[in-house]
Amino acid sequence: MMLLAKAALGISGTLLLAGAYTFREGVIRVEVDEYCAGGAHVHLWVPAAAVPMAMHFVPKHHLREAAIQAREFLPTAHAIVKELKKFPDADLVEVVDGQQHVQIRTHQGKLQIDVNEPGQTVHLLCPLEMLDDLTDELEASAPGA
Amino acid sequence: MSYRNRGFFDFTRQAMRCIKVALLTAAALLLIPTGARAQAANAQTSPAQSTVSAKQDRWLHVRVISSDARGETVRVNVPLELAEKVLPTVNHDRLHNGKVKIDCAHVNDVDLHALVDAIRTAKDGEYVTVQGNDSDVRVAKESNHLIVHVLDKGKSKKSQVEIKVPMKVVDALFSAGKDELDLVAALHALSAQGDTELVSVKDQDNTVRIWLDSKNAAD
Repeated sequence: MMLLAKAALGISGTLLLAGAYTFREGVIRVEVDEYCAGGAHVHLWVPAAAVPMAMHFVPKHHLREAAIQAREFLPTAHAIVKELKKFPDADLVEVVDGQQHVQIRTHQGKLQIDVNEPGQTVHLLCPLEMLDDLTDELEASAPGA
Repeated sequence: MSYRNRGFFDFTRQAMRCIKVALLTAAALLLIPTGARAQAANAQTSPAQSTVSAKQDRWLHVRVISSDARGETVRVNVPLELAEKVLPTVNHDRLHNGKVKIDCAHVNDVDLHALVDAIRTAKDGEYVTVQGNDSDVRVAKESNHLIVHVLDKGKSKKSQVEIKVPMKVVDALFSAGKDELDLVAALHALSAQGDTELVSVKDQDNTVRIWLDSKNAAD
């Protein structure tokens, strides 16, 4: 009985640690709601650390192709993410136009994009650390890197 | 209990002890960076609280407020250091390595570089003053700032433009070469300046403000 309890403790501890490791970079949150008949409602929570890990399983030629297409913007994206990590939380861009509201801000190490307009809302929350890893991976996949 | 059984339980106990030690070590290793990150997060200020950043980062703010029925508002807050680092990575059209190519270095046979050089070495004073029925224009140098003031007195739309740029920034902007404006050098020079309002445009429909301070929120 004692042996079983200890084994259960070990398994639950391992699961806890695995969970903590997986969620160490936070989660990517994507929420899209269309408030109309047949409108889409997408609510997606993905552990941020899983994205760079998953990229290792993407076939190299696909990754290279993506890196070629994004080549022009990668250094800029990399520089923005790297710099944003250094600064405190800030509202970077806010646009209000009638009932439309767009906000891009950093909040607790995450890039947050909120779009609210009548009949549709989009919320995106992305850890900067993950974006940094992602741009690193893509840059490394570019031909001649 | 037989000798064999006792050996099995000793082995199990030791294995469990090893697992416990491994779990505790892994937990400690995981918690250390989390704690450090939490401390770093606490050190940061949220925009709702105040907003003077600890390192005295310089922030460039742009605010456009439209007074029409839709009430359009645009607020942009950018750390100067970020702009300085990001601009050289943008290579598009006339912008390359933080420098923008200009074809109009000789505007109507006026050498802009020579003009800037002349303004730099000149004493403070009013260089251009035009007062007309439609508009007033004033270009001056005051306490090492280049000041441009335009008042459009058109009957349908009145507008007022005020630009105040430190001379060091103007120098840095024209420091690249004959047909180039060095935006990165200008931003770098700007970051050494105190809180200042750079551009203010007011007309019946819109108000535009561009200013520099140490706060990471607009107002």
